[in-house]
This record gives sequence, C-alpha cells and structure tokens, in this order.
Amino acid sequence: MRSQFVLQEIWIGLRRNLTMTMALIVVVAISLSLLGTGLLFVKQVDRTRTYWQGKVELSIYLCIKTSPQPTCQSGGPATEAEKSQLQSQLKAMPQVETVYYVSQQRAYSEFKQYFSNEPAMVQDTREGDIPDSFQVKLKNPESDYSIVASAVTGRPGVETVVDEMTILDKFYKLLDGARNAVLIIALILIVAAVLLVANTIRLSAFNRRRETAIMRLVGASNFYIQLPFLLEGAIAGLIGWAIAAGLLVAVKSLMLDSLEQYFSFNVGLSVGDLIEVILFSMVVGVVLCGATSFLTLRRYLRI
Amino acid sequence: MSTYIACDGPVINFDNVTKVYANQSRPALENVNIEVAKGEFVFLVGPSGSGKSTFLRLVLKEERPSDGKIHVAGRDLARLTNWKVPYLRRRIGCVFQDFRLLPNKNVYQNVAFALEVIGKHRRFIRKVVPEVIDLVGLEGKHDRMPDELSGGEQQRVAMARAFVNRPMILLADEPTGNIDPATSIGIMKVLDRINRTGTTVVMATHDAAIVDSMRKRVIELEYGKVVRDQSRGVYGQAY
Repeated sequence: MRSQFVLQEIWIGLRRNLTMTMALIVVVAISLSLLGTGLLFVKQVDRTRTYWQGKVELSIYLCIKTSPQPTCQSGGPATEAEKSQLQSQLKAMPQVETVYYVSQQRAYSEFKQYFSNEPAMVQDTREGDIPDSFQVKLKNPESDYSIVASAVTGRPGVETVVDEMTILDKFYKLLDGARNAVLIIALILIVAAVLLVANTIRLSAFNRRRETAIMRLVGASNFYIQLPFLLEGAIAGLIGWAIAAGLLVAVKSLMLDSLEQYFSFNVGLSVGDLIEVILFSMVVGVVLCGATSFLTLRRYLRI
Repeated sequence: MSTYIACDGPVINFDNVTKVYANQSRPALENVNIEVAKGEFVFLVGPSGSGKSTFLRLVLKEERPSDGKIHVAGRDLARLTNWKVPYLRRRIGCVFQDFRLLPNKNVYQNVAFALEVIGKHRRFIRKVVPEVIDLVGLEGKHDRMPDELSGGEQQRVAMARAFVNRPMILLADEPTGNIDPATSIGIMKVLDRINRTGTTVVMATHDAAIVDSMRKRVIELEYGKVVRDQSRGVYGQAY
C-alpha cells in the first residue's frame, strides 16, 4: 500500500470534481446539522418534560379576599378548618402521591423571584394578592388528573384547580412542532445528500475512467481501484460533518442556551449530550456516504 | 505469487473453447484449440470479427468461455476466483492500437503508474522504470507528455508500461494499427527485444508486411475458427 500515491490520487480526484465536492460538503454539512439540531430539540423537550413531570402536576388555589369566583364570593376566604379538611381529603386519595401547602407568604416570595426583572409588576402586587395553594403530585398524572380535579373542584375554599401540564402543553406543542419540522427537513436533505454522493462518485468514476481501465489492466486489486473513490466520498463527508459539528455547537450555545435564560430552572443540555449528538451525526454521515459510494461503485465501476 | 512464475507447460492453453456472446447466434470463437509455449512469438491474424480480440479478452479473463477450458500461466481460469484475477493480470502485459496513455502524466509517470497501483515500493519503481524506458528506446524523454510524442513514441511508452512488471505474457492488439510502416518496424524491434527476454508475445494484427518479415508462428482465425496454425508463417496463405 502506497499511502502517498493514494492520497495524491484522491487529491487529484477531489480537485477535478471541485464544484461537485463543494456542493456535497455543503449539503452534508446542512443535513447533518439539521439532523443534529432536531436531535438536540428532542433531548431538550424530553429533559424539560421529565423535569416537569417530576414536579407538581396539580395546583389547587384557595380562596382569598380578592378572589372573583362565586364559590369564594359566597364562602369568603378559605378558613383553616377548610384547608386542613381539604388536605386530609387529598392525602386520603389513592391517586395522590404527595401534597404540600404553599402559604401566601411563600407564594409571594416566589412571585417576586420569578418577576425580579419587572419591578413595576412586583411593586403593584402585595403579599395577600397571591392565593395560597396545595401543590399535589399525582402517581399517574395522565389518568388520575380528572378524578382528583373533580373531587376538589367546588369544595368550599377552593378557587381553581389548575393542571400544570395543560399550561405546558402549548409550549410542548410548539417545541414538538419545531422539532418535527427540523427532522423532516433534515430527512429531505439527507436524501439529497445521498443522491449527491451517488452523483459525485459517478462523475468521479467517469472522470477517472482511463486511470481505472489501466489499473484493471495492469492488475491493481479491486480494493486499490475502489479506495480513492471511497475515500473521496468519505473525506467530503467528514469535512461536511466537521462543519456540521461546528454549527451544532453554535446552535447549542446560541439558541438552546439563550432559550434557557427564560426559565428559572436548570434543564439545559450538557456537553455530553452535544457530543453524543455530534458523534451520532458522524455515524449517520459516514454510513450514508460509505454505503452510497460503495453501491454506486458497484454499479458504475466494472471490476 | 510464486505459483504463477513456475510453469512448465504451455503459458496459454485453449482446450476446445467456444465463446458465444449474449444476443448473438454466431459464436465469436468455436471449438478453438491453441497452445502457446513459453517464450513463443505468435501472430494472430484474420479479418475483423474473426475472434482475435475475443481470444485476447478470454486470456485476460475479461470474458468467460461458453464452453471449453482455458489455462493461462498454469492456472485454470474457470477456477480462478474473482479477487485473484488482478494477480493473473499482473503476469500479463497489454498493448493496444490506441496506446491508452494517461494524458495528464508524463512518460515516466505513465510507466510508474502501472507499478504504483499494484503497491510496489518507490525505491523499486525508481530503479526499474528508467531501465524499461531505455529498453523501448525513449531515453531522455522521461518528462515528455503524451501529446508531445509521436504515435510511435506513444506506443513505446505503452509497451514500457506493459513490460515494466516483467510479465510472463505480452498481449498486443494491433499495436501498429495507428502507426506508419516505417515506425512500425521500430515497434516490432521492441516487441522482439521483449520476446528475447523470455516473455511470450501474442500479437493480433492486420499488417501483412510485418507478419511476412518476422517469420514467426502465425495462427489465422476466420469466423471464430482456427483455419491455419503455422510456425514461421506469413500473413496470406503461402504454399
């Protein structure tokens, strides 16, 4: 094996096919980075979802002086007796895992913390405006929600029952939609990349038909004849992948991390996640380029 | 590959070989029996379509016979696996009417290419290539590009490339077909020189003058059949 000779032949091949190679690199880069972005989205959505599923699923807000609901208007603010009765009722339910009470004082301090960048809003709100609540964690959020919600809705002292998941659903729908769109575009581009690889190899085989014919004639092994083509595809694929890796790092640090600033909880993706996605996209790239080159060569390069 | 070097019997042996191409009713070769001994010089003559090229392609295992057995360099081609075919071809040099040089490589690079692609060491290539270029009479023209050479010179480069790996057999398919008679004599001298090193030469040709002047073995094909096999023969029928 003469590595210098092989490298030289690859270089000649890539240079002769320059426009095609560049198109190939760009398409591989874009398709792989979109695929990676889609995968990062998937991971991000999963991460956020598990974070929330591990948190409160049901909030039962209690009546306060300013509550507009009719039950609260007639019954007035929830009394201590109502609260303890409600709490013991919730604890007795088999669907309920944990219940804890958030006082008005604590709710207010959490409110101040959430809206710390909007001082006007904080100033206009006083302790006592934010209702106290029971935060209920369900054993099986999806199926048990309606049972628990209907059991406590309309009870004296209960203002509203809010499923936290329904609030997040919209957010998830948005994320899921974005993720699906990215993945679909990535798939289309991957198909384009496969076709481009096939075309590049075909063109390359045509450009090098004299060399190939002579190599066959003087008894070069099939491996030696095919190697420059396979490596040509692989090198273009690897350059494309390297660009995609750079783009993915940018996507992670610019988009996802800045998105995270809007949340006060830590569900950001780790460097490990990023590396995992980048490595996966490399495997996809190498397998696609390699398999396509190989199949195209069998078709266009008679050995 | 020492198995290809040691060989006492004929270097090419066609045993009742028939070749019918797909979609053709008339066989390109029909019941051909040819034996070529080591070191022989053989002319293959006959009109176009008589089966000369098919014979050469069968020797290279570019085609498979429809019937019969072919042995080349002591090997039964039917039992030669596909991945071993390149090793067979390393024992066979080839020269064509259209030279088939690489236009973007100079004389030296064209000859060296044949060794580079079979993985020979650079030191070996540097030693052997100039020797062969001298042998074919192109000394001092290492750096010329093919389009700067005459037809005869280009064919010499092709012969150097075919011979550089010291093949056991040299197949020449109309090597003088594109070359004027005066230059052809030079080409034939080179082929003769190669033959004298012990290499078996099989040359398909239409050139009566050359066949007549060389007085070597002549095998004549017509419609795929051997109609004449004569040692020290001439192109036309000679009685």
